[in-house]
Amino acid sequence: MTSIDYSKLVTENRIKGLWLMMRGYRWQYLVANLMQGFSAGFKILTFILLQHFVDKVIGHPELGWQVLWIALGFIGLAALEGFATYLSGRIAGFASEGIAQRLRDFLYDHLQHLSFTYHDKTQTGELIQRVTSDVDAVRRFFAQQAIQAGRVVLLFIIIWAVVLSLNVRLGLISVVVIPVVFGISLLFFREIGKRYEKYQSLEGKVSTALQENLTGVRVVKAFNRAEYEIAKFEEKNHAHYEQGKRLLISHALYWPITDVMIGIQQLTGYVVAGGMVIRGELTIGTYLAYAWLMIWLLYPIRNLGRLLIDMSEARVSYGRIKERLSQTREPLDDGKYQPQDDLRGDVRFQQVNFQYEGEKAGVLHAIDLNVHSGQIIGLIGPTGAGKSSLVNLLLRFYDYNSGSIQLDGVELRDYPRDYLRRQIGIVQQEPFLFSRTIRENITYGLGRPATDEEIYAAARAAAVHDVILSFPDQYYTVVGERGVTLSGGQKQRVALARILLKNPHILILDDTTSAVDSETEEEIRAALKTIMHNRTTFIIAHRIQSVMLADQIVVLDKGQIVQLGKHQQLLAQPGLYRRIYEVQAQVEAELEQELAN
Amino acid sequence: MSEVDYELEDETYSAKVDRALLLRIIGLTRPYLLWTLGFLGAVSAVSALDAYFTYLGSRIVDEGILAGNMQVLWSIVLQYGVIMLFQALAVFIFIWLAGFLGQRIKYDLRKQMFNRLQTLSFSYFDRTPVGWLMARGNSDADRVSDLVSWGFLDITWTVVNITSTLIFMFILQWRLALLVLLIVPILVIVASRFQVLILKEYRQVRKVNSQITSAYNENITGVRVVKALVREDKNLNEFQDLTSEMYRAAFRAAWLSALFLPIVQMISALAVGVIVWYAGANTLTAFGLSIGGIQAFVSYVIFMLWPIQELARVYAEMQRAIASAERIFSLVDTEPEIFDQPQAQPAPNLRGEIVFDDVSFGYKDAQTVLHHFNLTVRPGETIALVGATGAGKSTIVNLLCRFYEPTAGKIRIGGTDYTQYTLDSIHSRLGVVLQTPHLFSGTVRENLRYGRLTATNEEIIAAAQMAEAHEFISALEKGYDTEVGEGGVLLSTGQKQLISLARAILAQPDLLIMDEATSSVDTMTEALIQKAMERLMKGRTSFVIAHRLSTIRNADRILVLEKGRIAEIGSHPELLKAQGHYYRLYTTQFRTERLAELENTVVVGDISAVGAG
Repeated sequence: MTSIDYSKLVTENRIKGLWLMMRGYRWQYLVANLMQGFSAGFKILTFILLQHFVDKVIGHPELGWQVLWIALGFIGLAALEGFATYLSGRIAGFASEGIAQRLRDFLYDHLQHLSFTYHDKTQTGELIQRVTSDVDAVRRFFAQQAIQAGRVVLLFIIIWAVVLSLNVRLGLISVVVIPVVFGISLLFFREIGKRYEKYQSLEGKVSTALQENLTGVRVVKAFNRAEYEIAKFEEKNHAHYEQGKRLLISHALYWPITDVMIGIQQLTGYVVAGGMVIRGELTIGTYLAYAWLMIWLLYPIRNLGRLLIDMSEARVSYGRIKERLSQTREPLDDGKYQPQDDLRGDVRFQQVNFQYEGEKAGVLHAIDLNVHSGQIIGLIGPTGAGKSSLVNLLLRFYDYNSGSIQLDGVELRDYPRDYLRRQIGIVQQEPFLFSRTIRENITYGLGRPATDEEIYAAARAAAVHDVILSFPDQYYTVVGERGVTLSGGQKQRVALARILLKNPHILILDDTTSAVDSETEEEIRAALKTIMHNRTTFIIAHRIQSVMLADQIVVLDKGQIVQLGKHQQLLAQPGLYRRIYEVQAQVEAELEQELAN
Repeated sequence: MSEVDYELEDETYSAKVDRALLLRIIGLTRPYLLWTLGFLGAVSAVSALDAYFTYLGSRIVDEGILAGNMQVLWSIVLQYGVIMLFQALAVFIFIWLAGFLGQRIKYDLRKQMFNRLQTLSFSYFDRTPVGWLMARGNSDADRVSDLVSWGFLDITWTVVNITSTLIFMFILQWRLALLVLLIVPILVIVASRFQVLILKEYRQVRKVNSQITSAYNENITGVRVVKALVREDKNLNEFQDLTSEMYRAAFRAAWLSALFLPIVQMISALAVGVIVWYAGANTLTAFGLSIGGIQAFVSYVIFMLWPIQELARVYAEMQRAIASAERIFSLVDTEPEIFDQPQAQPAPNLRGEIVFDDVSFGYKDAQTVLHHFNLTVRPGETIALVGATGAGKSTIVNLLCRFYEPTAGKIRIGGTDYTQYTLDSIHSRLGVVLQTPHLFSGTVRENLRYGRLTATNEEIIAAAQMAEAHEFISALEKGYDTEVGEGGVLLSTGQKQLISLARAILAQPDLLIMDEATSSVDTMTEALIQKAMERLMKGRTSFVIAHRLSTIRNADRILVLEKGRIAEIGSHPELLKAQGHYYRLYTTQFRTERLAELENTVVVGDISAVGAG
């Protein structure tokens, strides 16, 4: 498979863009179209053979020996025509499926290489639906529409040329109706397209109404609203039905009207050509051949309008693909500095400012922080204070706007992203598990095979091993299937096991145990103690207990570091940390009081 | 993703055509008998006339041109033209009627399904995924209605076309017609074999395609993990395996389809060869064929191809449609499990004493989830239900609402076994607030009015005020006429909860059932919800599946459930003293909840405002 730099597509015009997509398949595509021409040629030869048979052989017993050959000739021509058609279809299939596969792969890869910023802003549902249907529209263009339109045009040109060569006057009168039929067909299919779109949107409404009713069935029952719902659905169902009828009336008019127009053209041909035969200006064999050629000249035109409209749908899809490609990828291995060794884990923030693209307010302001290798850093502060943003910078999910972050003395920007992401393990706030087995989820992204012992050890440290063993298929349980749903806390722990197995040189735990009950949390904390040993670790937490053993506790508020120090130090001074501490103590006190009452 | 799977299930074919089912499908057209006969008549006429036109074409050649008679030529052409106009009319009629019929049957089927669904019991919806039902209403309804309209049309067309073609061939030259007739079975067999192969390949394509869609889906929803673990390359490899499989299947389908037409054409070319040989061999004999006859025979052979090659496709679609119909009928035939007893009377009210008398309950074919449950609730009492997921809280509530009925024991309301009452009279006196508030697309006003369809605007506003929802609703861009979006997506969770409370208030229920939300909302809204709930419960018998401490504390009695049995029952102070289940539950809950509350206040920075309790 030739690889293609699709990014050129963005700047090229449509024709050049399609040409670019065809790279590696261009000559096949040419052959496919050429074969359509051959196929048309053989078809015409069939009628010429018919002409010869009727004019020269019939009624001439002395030429009787030709009969068998002519009969075989018809079969032979059909075989040749069929072979050309088949080759054309096969080659076009080969080319278009190849083009589609390449595009599909590229788009998939492209999407996973776009930045967090892009994915933050994009609605996933729509994106997925569009991506598959857009590629399919482009595929259909190459596989069917372009070939068929080519066939209609080739057929027309060749046949008309032949008819003209048979008799110029016949040739000229045979095409009178064609521009009219073509025009009507174009108008019709445009109108049909519009009506169909409306029909589809009403269909969507019926479907939504049904879905809403089904998902809200408890409310419907609870308020005893069956009749009301039936009336509501009836309205949508009926509107759809009415639009369906409107759609049909167009079809019911188009086909007979064009039938009659083409029929009149045909009859005119019969009369004119028949008169010429009677006057001796044309042989009867030519008349018969002409009668056939007229059919192949006239009827395909009716579908040309449809093909052109379908092609314009492909254009819309092409535009969307192009737009998606215009998003630039985030290079993974790009970096001025190409480290050979593992990270030590010294991190230094100097006056770092950061704001999300397109947002007005900054998220982090003048962050100064000095972390030594092996230290544990606790990050605490209210929701929205910038805790997650701060750690996300380390993996270059986002780039800081100003200031400097140095990792082992080298500017973070100079590191290739994939190196950072392999060296730094992050357990994200909202755990995401793939619908694969739990084992595959834990080894996801490990990049090497793992032994069962390793996996169990990681799961044990994340206090999830026993839970997994309680599932029917244990480590081979598929997440989300057959009623095996993991609770939020369990998901968090599987995600934690995944990172622990990876054994990263810097560990980031972004509120990893928020949904885990306090006993299990204690268990995890104990296990982490050994894992964190000699490894730079960032812990984001809500509860004081989670950070109190940290070497440095960073108290963030509104994007700024408001306090920094060890637990005892921070407790000794007035400020946010002490307030959080007091609140937690107050809760305990309240509880005691409450129980005493 | 699930929906893709249900669509795939639709790919099943009924192994053979079940006659009873087919009759029932045909029965769907019964109310439209005239239309059906009309379109079948029209399509037969069009098809027969097509064959007649070819015959006329041969007469133009033989009687007009070869006879050198321009007048005959003109008269045949004129006849041709007039019949053509009639045929056009018939085309109009059959497209119009068949289309109408198809749309109408789809409409009818959907209506029947929807109406039936409204009567079915909760247990049906517990067993049946929404995606499955959606597929019945969408693709299955499509397929059956397509069969009834276009499918029947294709079949009629084919049968009439072949019959009339044969008739005209026999008129022209019966010996040759017999020879040509030999070709027909070969065509039918080859065409259907081929179509089966192609369809199989396309099914594979669709299957892989749905896998590709879910691969995209997963990669995009999990993109943050993918990036964090630098798994891009491996993902691409896995994806390429899928697209390669797609490529293989799609390419195979493409070249098989490309081969199909040529092969069918070859077979008909064989027939053309036979015609030529026959015409040549019998020139000038009595068995001979006129030149017009040659032309007509060739046309007949070539045009017979189209319907025959379609036959296999139509048959496959018919099988598929029958499988679809089977599923639709099974839905339409489902009987509700809970229905009014023959002598059921409307309940006067639900304000009386409620007694659970040794009630047990188990889902069909499954374990018992509630064991010998006994409880007497005084009018106006508030009962809080507490316990872990699966302890039986929802079961009790669903039984009380008579969404389920006890498998053993009785539930009495005001002294009467509630199965003696009509379902309608019970349901219309209930107020139910669900854990995840479900709103329907439409305006805020429409959603509120759902509680009582006859409510005036003033009553709606009054209810919203009682539910503390009026203020935020008024602040919305269009106030009460703001669209809430599908499922209420345009509103926040807290707002949806307030609206669902107002909706319940509007229903003026005798008996209130609440499943408290667990999702956190901001402190302000939380307080509003609390206030609204208290107002709603005041003076009404209420059952609350409680998660918030204040709700639990304020209840008259707390029912702690464990594995379908009552573990503890009593008031808040009583249960705390007992130091049992409730004690542990309460202390844990207290910590999490208060902490969350207070942390919010810390952000504001005014800790002194947070008083004790």
